Order: sequence, then C-alpha cells, then structure tokens
Amino acid sequence: MDLGIDADELNTCVQCGLCLSACPTFRVTGDETRSPRGRIALMRHVQLRDAPLTPEIVESLETCVQCRGCEPACPSGVPYGHLIEQARTTLAAAHRSTPRWQRLAYAPLSRPRLLRAGSVALGVAQRLHLVPKRLGLSVRIPLRQRPITASGADVYLFTGCVMDAWQRDVHQATKRVIEAAGFGVMPTLAKAPCCGALHAHAGLTDQTRRLAEGMMAALAPELPILVDSAGCAAAMKDYGHLLGTDAAKAFSARVFDIQEWLARYVDRLPPVTPLDMRVAVQDPCHLRHVQKVHMDTRMVLRPFVRELVELDDDGLCCGAGGAYSALEPELAGAIRDRKVGSIGRARADMVASANPGCSMHLGAAGTPTKHPMELIDQALQQR
Amino acid sequence: MKRRFSRQGAGPDVALVADLVAAIGRDRVRNDSAERALLRRDASVFDDGVAGPVCFPGSTADVQAVVRTALRHGRAVVPRGAGTGLAGGAIPLGAPVVVSLTRMNRILDMDNDARVVWVEPGVVNLDLTKHLQPLGFHFAPDPSSQQVCTLGGNVANNSGGPHCLAYGITNAHIIAIEVVLPDGEVALLGGLEAEPPGYDLRGAFVGGEGTLGIATRIAARITPTAPAVRTLLMSFAEVRHAANTVSAVIAAGIVPAAMEVMDQRITQAVENYVHAGYPTDAAAVLLAEVDGLADGVDIDAQAIAQIGREQGATEVRLARDDTERMLLWTGRKTAVGAIAQIAPDYYLHDTVVPRAKLADVLAQTYEIAERHGLIVMNVFHAGDGNLHPLLLFDAREPGVVERVHVAGGEIVKASLDAGGVLSGEHGIGVEKQAYMTLLFTDDDLDHQNRLRKSFDPDCKANPGKVLPSGHSCADIQMLTAVPKGMWV
Repeated sequence: MDLGIDADELNTCVQCGLCLSACPTFRVTGDETRSPRGRIALMRHVQLRDAPLTPEIVESLETCVQCRGCEPACPSGVPYGHLIEQARTTLAAAHRSTPRWQRLAYAPLSRPRLLRAGSVALGVAQRLHLVPKRLGLSVRIPLRQRPITASGADVYLFTGCVMDAWQRDVHQATKRVIEAAGFGVMPTLAKAPCCGALHAHAGLTDQTRRLAEGMMAALAPELPILVDSAGCAAAMKDYGHLLGTDAAKAFSARVFDIQEWLARYVDRLPPVTPLDMRVAVQDPCHLRHVQKVHMDTRMVLRPFVRELVELDDDGLCCGAGGAYSALEPELAGAIRDRKVGSIGRARADMVASANPGCSMHLGAAGTPTKHPMELIDQALQQR
Repeated sequence: MKRRFSRQGAGPDVALVADLVAAIGRDRVRNDSAERALLRRDASVFDDGVAGPVCFPGSTADVQAVVRTALRHGRAVVPRGAGTGLAGGAIPLGAPVVVSLTRMNRILDMDNDARVVWVEPGVVNLDLTKHLQPLGFHFAPDPSSQQVCTLGGNVANNSGGPHCLAYGITNAHIIAIEVVLPDGEVALLGGLEAEPPGYDLRGAFVGGEGTLGIATRIAARITPTAPAVRTLLMSFAEVRHAANTVSAVIAAGIVPAAMEVMDQRITQAVENYVHAGYPTDAAAVLLAEVDGLADGVDIDAQAIAQIGREQGATEVRLARDDTERMLLWTGRKTAVGAIAQIAPDYYLHDTVVPRAKLADVLAQTYEIAERHGLIVMNVFHAGDGNLHPLLLFDAREPGVVERVHVAGGEIVKASLDAGGVLSGEHGIGVEKQAYMTLLFTDDDLDHQNRLRKSFDPDCKANPGKVLPSGHSCADIQMLTAVPKGMWV
C-alpha cells in the first residue's frame, strides 16, 4: 500500500537506533514496534515491500505521541515528523485510524460557540462529579468567563480553541505581561478559532489545511502573532510546509512562541522581587524539539523566580501529546510517571510548562504546574 | 484506544506461544508479523534473519522460564538489548525465540565502598552514568552508542569506547554476572571477592555474544570521575599526520583518556549535525582528552599539543568549556549515524591494528575503496588502533553490495596482514565469522568450540554466531523460509 510518503525522506534512516532513548513510548515499553526506528521500518515494509497493513502496524503508528523527540537525536536528520504525519494522513483517509467519534469530537474545535456550550456542559458535569477521574481533566472548567478585550494593535495574541475555553486565565496573564512590556494586544478570538494541530496529529490534513487558510485570511494584517501554547505555535509555524505557498511561509514567519518573542523585550519589564519558588522547567516537546526555542523560556523566566532548575531527562516527552493522553491513557500514564520521577528528583515547588496539554496532564498527576507567563504575571502583580 | 486483537498472532508457533504466555504472561509475549519483522534486524546490514516469538521478561525467573520453554519445544533463544549491534550478533537465525531484555532495566544495589553497582541487563549505558554522576562516579566504558546501548549488550560484545584507552574495555569493569545458562540453570560467574576462586568463567562470558547464556544481573565497577578534563582538537592536512601523532603521544609516555580521529568526509557530516566548530577543511581531526588533577592535565595537554605541532598539526584548539567539550563528543559519538546525509547504507568494519601501522593501513583503506569505486570514511579509536572504516553505498544500486563485501574483505585482510585482529569492540556476530579462519587455525577454533559446548551442548544459545559453521557445535537447521501466515 502506498502510504504517500516521500521515498527519499523514507530512505534517510540508516536504522542505527540512536533515537531509541529519545522516544517516550520505547522508553516505557522497550518494544521496537513502539520506537521511531521500528515505525519507520514498518512504514517501509508497507510502502516499499507490499506488507499488508495489519492492525499491529496501525497500532504502532497510532501509539506514536508525535513528540518529535527523535528528530534532534537523529544524526542523519530524518524528518520523522513528515513521515508520521503523512502516514497518519493516509491511514485516516483510508479510515484505518482516527475513528468517527474522534472526528466528531474534533468538530467543535473550529466552532467557538459549540465548543463553549460543550465546555459549560462539561464544567457542570465536573461540578456534579460526573467526569471520570481517568479522563485526567485537571483544570476546573470555568462556567462563566471574563471577556478578553483588545488593548491595542501592536501584536496578535492567538487565543485558540480548548485553551481559551478552559484556560483563559493563562491568556489573561500573557496579555498583562505583553502590556507590561509596552505593547497593545489584539486577541484573535473567534475569527481564528483553531490552529489545526490536533487535526494534523490525527491525520485529518484536509481540515488542517482549511483551518490554516481561514487563519491566514483572518489574520491578514502584518502583525506578529504571539502564541502561548507550544503545540499551536509549532503547527502554525508549519503552515509554510503544509500549504507550500509563499503566503503561508510569510505567515509562518510571523508566528512566535510567546517566550521566544518576549526574550527580545524582557528588558522592558520592570524589576521585581522574584517569586520565592524553586521552579523546574518542563519543555513542551513542540517547543523544544520542533520550534527549538526552549532556551528562551529560561531567559525570560529566570529574573522572576528565586531558583530555576533543569530536569534530568533530556527533554523526554511527558505523554500529553495533544489528545494523546485521552486516546492512549495507559502509555501516556507510564510516560508521565517517568516525568514525575524526574520532577521529584529536581525537588521543585512548581513546574513551568508552556503548553496547556502538558500542564493539564501533569496537573492530573498532582504536580503543581503553571505557564511561565502566569509566573511572570504573578511576580509583576505582587510588585 | 481500546484495540480488539491479539498480539500473540495466529500463524505458526501456536503451541510454543501458548506455553510462553503461560510461563511469563500475555503482555510479555508477542508473535505478530510486525514484531517479528522488526526483530529480524539490528543496526547492521544483515537482512536475512528470521525471528520467532518475541518475549519481554521482567526477571531472572522469567528468562529462565523462557529458556526452558524454548528448549522443550526444541527452539533456540537469542538475547537482544537495544539492537544497536553492528556485527549482526542479535540477528535471529532459524526463527529462535527472541528474548528482549529491555524491560529488565532497573539499577539495583549500589555499594560506594566496594565501588560496585548491580544492574539488570536492559539498563542503558548512559543512564547508568547519569545515575552515578551526582555521586561522583561513572561507568567508564562509553561506546559511541552509549545513549541507547544496554549493559547486557556491552557485556555480550565486550564493548569499548573512546575512553577505554585509559580505563580499559568492558571486561575490566564487570566483576560478577548472574546468568541463565542455555539449559535454564542460573549461575553466578565471578564474584565480589578480590580474587574469586576457580577459573575465570566471568572472563569467558564477557564477549560471548549470547552464545554462552543470558546475563540477568550484572555487577559493574564504578569509576570515580576525574576532577579536571582537557579536550584538544587538532587539525591535520594529511590523515597520516594524525595517525603518527597518536603513536608519538603514547610513545612519549602520556596516557590520554581518549584519542579519536575522524577524516574530512565524516567530519563534514558530523559538523553539519552538531555545529560544534569542527574544521571542515582539514584532511583529518584528532580529538584528544586528558583527565586527572588540574595541574597534571594542563601539563599533559600542552605536551600533546606540542607533539601534534611537531607532527604537522595545522591548528590546535583547547575546548573552552564543558558545553564545547560535550558538543565535540556528541559529534564524535554520532558520527556513524550522521552518514545518511551522504548515502543511505553503510558497512562498518572494526579491525584493530598495531598503532605504528595505523597510517599504512589507513592509506590502504582509501586505495581499496577507490579500486572498487566506493566511498570510504574513516573514524576510529586511534589510541587503541581500533579502525572503523565505513564503506558507503546505496543498496538500490545493482551489484554494489557485492562490491562492498569484496572491498570489506580486502580491508580486513590488510589489517590482519599488518598484525591486527578482527574486532575491536563490535564482536564477530555473523559479520566476521568467515574471517575467523584467517586469524585462527582449525585447532584454535575447535578448542573455542569446546568451550562453547561446555556452556551450550545443544547449540541453543544464539546459534550460528561467532564460530564459523564448520567449527560450530552443530550446523543449525536454518529456517530461512517465511513461516506460513506471516508476511516477513
């Protein structure tokens, strides 16, 4: 079966195995079918050697978190993200993965009113203790939200879908920090409802393309687009590759992770008394392995906390992976156990994570987690 | 996602798989085509293995149960760690039960006083060192694949690494091993005493490549980490100059922690990946490291730099800090993986030659490759005289694989003619079996086979490896046909 993967890209892997330790699913299973090397070999078996697409092969590809931790570990520069996304696209198109309920569940992401209504229902259920614990819903979904209003037009703040419905507090904190640096903020809200990252992970590439095109049309004015969700920023920076047009490349070049952007202006923030906390930095995979701007998190956060410490796991994934923690709870939990162990060894009071999925997933394990912008905002507020 | 299918597969081996499941549990046995297809291979070029059912034991008792179950069904067993071997040692021949030890990855007891740590075989080499670092220790053997390779694999292949020049190879760092013997008995080889009684069976087991049994617990020596390190990067206009520098440094009585050489092509590929500031215009670079007390390492570093200049170094640089040092080492250690930037396939040799012959043998590798129309790149543990000539090719090109094997054979021959040996650290596996007769007489090989048979009389432990078939205990029934119902 032709998975539609670029043959040259598929051939770049020499099967050396240096990626194995950087792969969260291999780390917790020790199983080659749960490793990047194994997944690439299976893609080759299917696409180049006419092996049948068995349920076990589909499972191997579906259990990939798509954290892309294998990419920086690969000395040959295998573009693993391209391989797995294309494979997942073909699987979804052939209805071999991404079941109908999952596609239905994704529909409200690009329909803000529907998402809001669903979130309120979920929030009510949560208060009535009707939401099972194993779903790992660690945030308390707000039933009523303070509106997030424009304070100028220097930069866009991308508000997105689930994060705006569930964690608008983070956006509010981010907005105050940007304002403290002297910029007027334009929240994107309903005109740019969703970046399409979850769709891309699930192989629903056509929908990702439609969302990307809608976003580009809605955010046409040439302002920097600041994003406080690492997964969303990574997806939006990939529009150039996804659509292949000059306009998309130009759009992607305007997208910044909030830490990446703030690193240039951190001097503009007023001096403060640092928060009396020992904070461990947890790098979201799509910040570290895909956007590669994780060092900026340290740079912007350092002046605002007493102590900043590193985890000892070389940026191994926490298992959140967008919707992964809901789709593969067993693996996601085992992967998180490793991360929680590393956090314990760092003896931190607080974990800083710049991605909503990671903070919810870690929060569900009882780990106190905040967005770096929330910590900076808190330090600025107590001044 | 809930998935409704059995990972134990339907096809062949139903009775064997049922017994394995009964012995160690359903979630520790897999027998589907995908799993068997992947475990046919390791990181070597050999593509003709056939895997049987795959087991993931969690304890010595599990390993014992797997070995006994396989034996009852007349099947062999092949142990496997991370599958990073380059000589095909973990390639299953004749559809044996594959015993993946990756889930036995606990670091057990640590004894700072005795300087020993007990580990399970699936512990990753670098994970052990990272675990020891806060305590001021590390595990000295550091194969280039240390970020993924396992202690069990290190023991099986008696692995080396850049820093084995000063600290010795794996054998010098393994004190005792608990093994499941090929008949399913558990034995402790070696011991924590200074001088364990009897023959050194531990020494025989290290480097046994899984033909003498399966290690299930390993007592490893831990090494105090030196307080100061200096790393020099020297550039040369000729590979020969780099090789001569290495000989001259050792001859001057200096014992560096590591001395590694890379030629221009591999340096360019590496620099493209790590951006460590490797000079891409030099014909060869030499990475030399000294460790010890601060005053001593400065003196040694200066002496090495001086020798390098005398041998024609065009540039000598001292790594400024730990970050630069780590980047340089990352580059060296990922060199082999970086070559896909140049060609999709490689064949890596592992011969050792006397240091004084390094320059001559290197020149021959370039000459041999050119004669066969191939690209060769050299990256090697220069201090040990351990060469790693990499022949690059694209297997899709007709006839090229045959040329690679002929050229490889000539390189091995040239190394042996210079007084060298077949393998520095990768093992013999299936790769170098045929060359064993170049190095050993029939008598030698028969005696080695007797040693093997005393551990494994029925030839059920990783059969078809190390000893050439004429001298192996019994020619195994090679099951090379694809089992019915499997697509591999």
